[in-house]
Amino acid sequence: MCILVLFVNSVMAQNSITGTVTDDTGSPLPGASVVVKGTTQGVITDANGKFNLSVPANARLVISFVGMKNYEVAVGTNKTINVQLTTSAVGVEEVVVTALGISREKKSLGYAVSEVKGETMQAVAQSNVLNSLAGKVSGVQISSTGAAGSSMTMVIRGASSLTSDNQPLFVVDGVPMNNTLNNVSQIGNDNRVDYGNAIADLNADDIASLSVLKGPSAAALYGSRAGNGVVLITTKTGKKKKGLGITITSNTVIETPYKYLAMDNGMAYGKRPYTQDNRPSNGLDYMLINPSEAAWGGPQLDKGIMAYQWPYYNANGVLTATPLISHPNNAKEFFQTGYTTTNNIEIGDATDRVDYRLSFDNMENKGVIPNSDLHKNSIALNSTVKLNAKLKVSTSINFTSSGAKNRPAGNRGTNPMQAFYEKNTSVDMLELKNYWEPGKVGILQHSPYTLNDATTGARGGMANNPFFLANEVNNGFLRDRLYGNVRLDYQILPDLTFFARYALDTFHEFRDTKISKSYTGEPNGLYGLVNMYRREHNTDFLFTYTKKTTNFNISVSAGGNEMYQYAENSSITGKNGGSGLILPGIFNVGNMAPSNILVGSGLSQKGIYSLYALGSIGYKDYVYLDLTARNDWSSTLPKESRSYFYPSASLSLLLNRMFDFGTNVSLVKLRGGIAQVGNDTNPYSLMPSMGSAGPWGDQTQLTTSGSLLLASLKPEIKTSKEIGADLGLFDNRLKLEGTYYSSENKNQILGISLPPSSGSSSKQINAGLISSKGIELSIGGTPIRSKDLNWDINFIYSRNRTKIESLAPGFSHIDIWSDAKGGASTWVGEEIGNIIDTQYLRVTDKTSPYYGWPLLDGDGWDQSDNTKEKDGKRVAPVIGNFNPDFTVGIQTSVTYKNWTLSASLDWRKGGQFVSQTLRYGESDFHGERIGNLMIKVPQGVDMPTWLKAHADLFNQNGTNYPVVGGETQAQGGLQYEEGGVTLNDGAFIPGVSGSYDAGGKFVLDQELLSQPMDRASDLYGWSYTKTALFDSDYIKLRDISISYKLPSLKSIGIQNASIAIYSRNVILWTKAKIGIDPEMAFQQESGGATGPGGSQFKQGIERFNVTPWSIPMGIKLNVSF
Amino acid sequence: MKFKNTLYNLFLVLIMVAFASCKDLTELNVSPNAVDPTTVNPNFEVPTVITATALPYLDFNYEGGMAGVMSYIQKSGWGTDLNNFSGDWIAGRTWGGYYGNLRNIYHLYDRSKAEKMEFHQGVALVLKAFNFGFITDAWGDAPYSAAVNAGAGGQGDLFPVFDSQEDIYKGIIADLKVANTLLSKPVESYSQISNSADVLYGGSPSKWRKMANSLLLRYYMRISTKSPVIAKAGIEEIISNSATFPIFTANEDDATMGYIGSTSSDSWPANTAQDQSHSNFDRMQLCAGFRDVLVDLKDPRIAVWFNKVNLRVKISNQFAPVGETITGGVTGGVRYLTPAYAAAKKYVVYNKSTWSADVDAGKTLIDTMEYVGMPLAYLAGEPYTYNLNPNPVQGGSNASVSALADIYKSANGSLLKARLISYAEVCFIIAEAAQKGYSVGTQQSWYEKGVQASLNTWGVGGNYAAYIANTGVAYDGSLKQIMVQKWIANWTVAFESWCDWRRTGLPALSFGTHGIRNAMPIRFKYDPSEININGVNAQVAIGKLVETAFTAQDGKDSSWSKMWLLQGSNIPY
Repeated sequence: MCILVLFVNSVMAQNSITGTVTDDTGSPLPGASVVVKGTTQGVITDANGKFNLSVPANARLVISFVGMKNYEVAVGTNKTINVQLTTSAVGVEEVVVTALGISREKKSLGYAVSEVKGETMQAVAQSNVLNSLAGKVSGVQISSTGAAGSSMTMVIRGASSLTSDNQPLFVVDGVPMNNTLNNVSQIGNDNRVDYGNAIADLNADDIASLSVLKGPSAAALYGSRAGNGVVLITTKTGKKKKGLGITITSNTVIETPYKYLAMDNGMAYGKRPYTQDNRPSNGLDYMLINPSEAAWGGPQLDKGIMAYQWPYYNANGVLTATPLISHPNNAKEFFQTGYTTTNNIEIGDATDRVDYRLSFDNMENKGVIPNSDLHKNSIALNSTVKLNAKLKVSTSINFTSSGAKNRPAGNRGTNPMQAFYEKNTSVDMLELKNYWEPGKVGILQHSPYTLNDATTGARGGMANNPFFLANEVNNGFLRDRLYGNVRLDYQILPDLTFFARYALDTFHEFRDTKISKSYTGEPNGLYGLVNMYRREHNTDFLFTYTKKTTNFNISVSAGGNEMYQYAENSSITGKNGGSGLILPGIFNVGNMAPSNILVGSGLSQKGIYSLYALGSIGYKDYVYLDLTARNDWSSTLPKESRSYFYPSASLSLLLNRMFDFGTNVSLVKLRGGIAQVGNDTNPYSLMPSMGSAGPWGDQTQLTTSGSLLLASLKPEIKTSKEIGADLGLFDNRLKLEGTYYSSENKNQILGISLPPSSGSSSKQINAGLISSKGIELSIGGTPIRSKDLNWDINFIYSRNRTKIESLAPGFSHIDIWSDAKGGASTWVGEEIGNIIDTQYLRVTDKTSPYYGWPLLDGDGWDQSDNTKEKDGKRVAPVIGNFNPDFTVGIQTSVTYKNWTLSASLDWRKGGQFVSQTLRYGESDFHGERIGNLMIKVPQGVDMPTWLKAHADLFNQNGTNYPVVGGETQAQGGLQYEEGGVTLNDGAFIPGVSGSYDAGGKFVLDQELLSQPMDRASDLYGWSYTKTALFDSDYIKLRDISISYKLPSLKSIGIQNASIAIYSRNVILWTKAKIGIDPEMAFQQESGGATGPGGSQFKQGIERFNVTPWSIPMGIKLNVSF
Repeated sequence: MKFKNTLYNLFLVLIMVAFASCKDLTELNVSPNAVDPTTVNPNFEVPTVITATALPYLDFNYEGGMAGVMSYIQKSGWGTDLNNFSGDWIAGRTWGGYYGNLRNIYHLYDRSKAEKMEFHQGVALVLKAFNFGFITDAWGDAPYSAAVNAGAGGQGDLFPVFDSQEDIYKGIIADLKVANTLLSKPVESYSQISNSADVLYGGSPSKWRKMANSLLLRYYMRISTKSPVIAKAGIEEIISNSATFPIFTANEDDATMGYIGSTSSDSWPANTAQDQSHSNFDRMQLCAGFRDVLVDLKDPRIAVWFNKVNLRVKISNQFAPVGETITGGVTGGVRYLTPAYAAAKKYVVYNKSTWSADVDAGKTLIDTMEYVGMPLAYLAGEPYTYNLNPNPVQGGSNASVSALADIYKSANGSLLKARLISYAEVCFIIAEAAQKGYSVGTQQSWYEKGVQASLNTWGVGGNYAAYIANTGVAYDGSLKQIMVQKWIANWTVAFESWCDWRRTGLPALSFGTHGIRNAMPIRFKYDPSEININGVNAQVAIGKLVETAFTAQDGKDSSWSKMWLLQGSNIPY
């Protein structure tokens, strides 16, 4: 057992026993209970953890404290008994925080709750606390959508709502926190910026514990927003401390990028592999390399070939040919080492009457993309004042100021990573570092452009310089957030308590965008600012009656909540593609022409009133039954359906208390529950309104909405069931937990696509049934437990499937997103997350010898069919699903004396994603991979014969868009003539042309098995999603840390000191092996998230979301005085 | 303890106050931001529906697939719709934009009817007719009577049936006649006209009325092959009753909308003021078919619309014995090829009659004229390599082919207008009617009025006398001449030229053998999302299409299938 009796003082038999109870850090533990076993005789330890108790001879003492392992000791002849209790990390008596902040013994719960201790989250510096949960909680999927500071998505038990962003409700000390995934906005053309979730305002060092209430059973009391689960966060409070009560923590992590996308194929810009002699006639003595040519099939690099290439002119302004060479270190020149440093100081103490904890926290982050940053300062104060034995007032106040000078944009446009990866390696990053044209600072970026005329210097199109985008497109923000609560607890009667609370979460966020002149999307530059104000308050109260009898343990609570949300936005921005800044480099609204300014504003309000009750009855520690009921009245629903009621019930059976399973069995628990939770919708979703179609000169243009609303909306009702079993063996050194759940989400409020001819694009319906099923398992244990060495290991397994069971009459499917020639669409009866594709036409006549062969047109090109469905049934092929088959997480921790090694590993099995980065890159022949995927026919064989013998390479069994050939002879390229030049870069699609007769028999026109028809670099399967579809499987060693607790330094006033070094993602294995982290398969889009999916992030697809992989090295110091 | 009790009581009071201050939930859900569509002033919707009609129409006619198919321009890159009949012609073209605009047009009509604003009703009906005209011209049968009614909520509203093309034309004609009546009053008798909101005609009912009747002429002529009796009677009625059916009588009547030029969404498309890369502008280049006719007729409009080629090609021994020499640089220079060199390289000079055969014979085309046009459906090599472009860039410019004139680089300008229907077009319609034997006047005078109107439009009216005397321009009584001049006059109204060509086979355009099919498309394949969502009704309409020799594996829903309007005729094929 995890209890160490530090010191047992043997003296002669006495009646009076004194002692001190301490926690696992050695700090005195006030309020611990010391009871003589088998009696009601006992005391509570005082503020210094001391107790004094008279006991009969031969008594046994039971010492207990919430969240700690109980300890039992025989008094014997001892006069003094000092006890150190340890946290019950794996104990039966584990206490977890549940709905409404009620602490419950985990064994009594009929549903699955996972708790993560604050220390686990504080070991590794993160810019968002959610990062530290990844892979640690079963049934929970946490992904970052981009680099540090990006939004984190947390989905519990699969995405079951098609309209919300499926994020759980976060409740911090009773304060529901505004946290959405929809934080992307843009000012200016193609400047989509993810400003990150507001939950990042939470300071990890302030967190005492975090509970994840997974199903609606657990969450039924939090109402509508808890339909996707609840994350309950309890912050630290003041505790009695030895010494000064000051703790200082410093945590710094340095991220050095080491792995970049392999985009080099050894060739310069250009359409054909021109050699020194074979070049287009341009009146020049060397060829001209055109940097706005997207394709990379030009002359080979590093072969001594001379060319006129950007920047074209030498220092004297003379057009000068230079050798075509590659710059393999370009990525290192562009990306930089990032860091995150977090410093925290806290003071806290507790007396009989008052406890307090005050902490200040500072976080600074510098990203791996130049000029990207993030910072946060927060102050938190927690305090409780006991006014008398019955009355307690507590408060928690947090103020956080976070912001950034620049958040780099994602997707296409201002994303520096797009500009970087689109540059051929023949361009030297060092040349780009000074990103202004000489003499044109603030006016024209120094970036590769097309030289239209070498004589006049006339310029054609220009590409963006990644350094320019990184430094001269600044998307800053500043968010001041205040949240906290005031709470009063009153012990009305010994069995009856009451609390009332007022909780507030409010923030003001200011975003401003400064785009310098000459960004290709905003050539005249742009300035814009957005002000956002959010406010939510909750006022709630709860009466609780508890009664313990010999056999029964009863608790009944009832209360209510008033919730009110207010949101306001206003913006002043330059018009997209407008006249821009008058003077370069001055970012001020006054520096734009009045006719070029757009203003906007909007506000919304929402209120929900609720009453709820819960009852819990336990019988003899055998059986626990929980019942809850809640009724909401939401302002967003029509009056007649505004009120909705939802109940839940759960049961926990402790079989080990009923039957004797022997001493090796510590816990056998069966549990089950059924629950409902209702959900409303967004404000103003009942009545249509006119929107702006943008001004036309000084004319206002109003437009009706293409989305039809439903005035008679009903609330969504999600019903979930779960059953599970918990097993504790060998003194709880081996623990197993398993849960099976299913849920049905009906009356979904969702927008469904209408035929365009109906005049509307979508219609809100209140129909359909989405069902989810899943399994969560965890196996944990302590294989080694000895005085000096302790080893804990824990495995978690999660699996979820979500299906559309039905939709409204006449509607067959839901489109979650469409992109890359396919999309994520789900038909009735199929799974959410399915990715569909355009169909590649192949011979469908099974009797034909050409069955499955590509059916080509007369010119040898593939043919496609983008029909999605026929007669209500899907005909588009499903090529993947963006959800995993299952995920496995492993955490382990080994402690040897003062040393602790912890690690957390994460495995995702199954699922696919679409990489648009590779789609764009490979279609233009960036990188060698695409050339290597082409079919290589061995030299000297008869090509048609060989291909027929290897038809599996290109018939329906072939995995990719089939092409025979390559870019060079070495790569399998075929001789191909174009423009009077013959080179070895020819390729073709193997297949047949022909037609079907009236009986459906395939009639061959000709076999196309030998004749190159085009340059290899033109033969990319652009029309098909599958060409850029990759497996999402990965294994990550998410974090690993080694910490050392310094020996006692009390002589110099230091109570505790420890040092830790750590790293993250040291091992990152991906099945796809393309250098892209599948977890980042999120494509950010701006604009409202209205359609199905409810999120601004397209899941399962990425576009230039390819931050380099890095090995972070971190160090954490912790000293308390 | 008293203090504590007070505090406790105070706290309870606070909570009570918080609950008591609960706002009325119904009031909370009233949006403070948005305009209520049931009370909106119709003037706020007038510019919306005009711009949403004119902008896509011009885009499509100026830089879209139609401009390529009708041989006005080609693109030197990414020009699938324009250059070889693939792109949307194969995949199906979306029509949600037109029906979405119709949703606002219907709403404008309903609101102005409720407010008894007859001018606005008339405007709505003209625009309704125009947009449904586009839809049925382009796709054939389409949802009409049950369309744009999703708000009513019935299954038949959510999934509208397709009406026959014949019925749609009848409906269009009926609507235009109602509009003619609604717009027949003097301006002062209408209520609430906002001159500035009417971005087409500045609030003039009489001009809208003329537009309605001019459109009537357009649609009567459209159905003149299939419904000759209706067409003849309709056109004769209009021409003989100019008081009841006033039509355009001068260029000032033209239905043209200018551009604001402040952002990319209110500016002339593909301008270079807002597109630093010039990429969209640079890709648009003169088509050989248009060039051939303009040059043959010595048409002064060519210089208004196009620039001479930057890098001219000449076959000459001037720099012999060097095979190839560029003088004067790529901008404004000349590339000299010796005849021997050109022959050795298998270069052949473009000839409008033989170029396609030359390409098929493996020759490389060169074009030695001042204005160089890229041939339609020429794809032996990428279009950006055409005419030996020294600097071939995917999506870049081709200095060896004529670019559009510099005026088209601007964001707006006096010649940069979205033209819905013009006086010139009206003249040519009447000329054609006369040619058919309708009693509408003499074909020559209407032909000449049309030519003059177009020259005036483009600021070269002073050349009229000389031009009308040119060989090929001087009227010879043929339909061909009317249709050729109408085609020229319909520069940036390519859609109308396409409808004329489908009906008359004129002008006879030359195209190569590298189009996706060996014929120009005659309709649009239906919107894939309509088929996906409203498949049952769409299949009925598809069943009524007639396949041609060029529909190939498309089946009936092909851009080469015949809609009702073209069925039973061997024109164009």
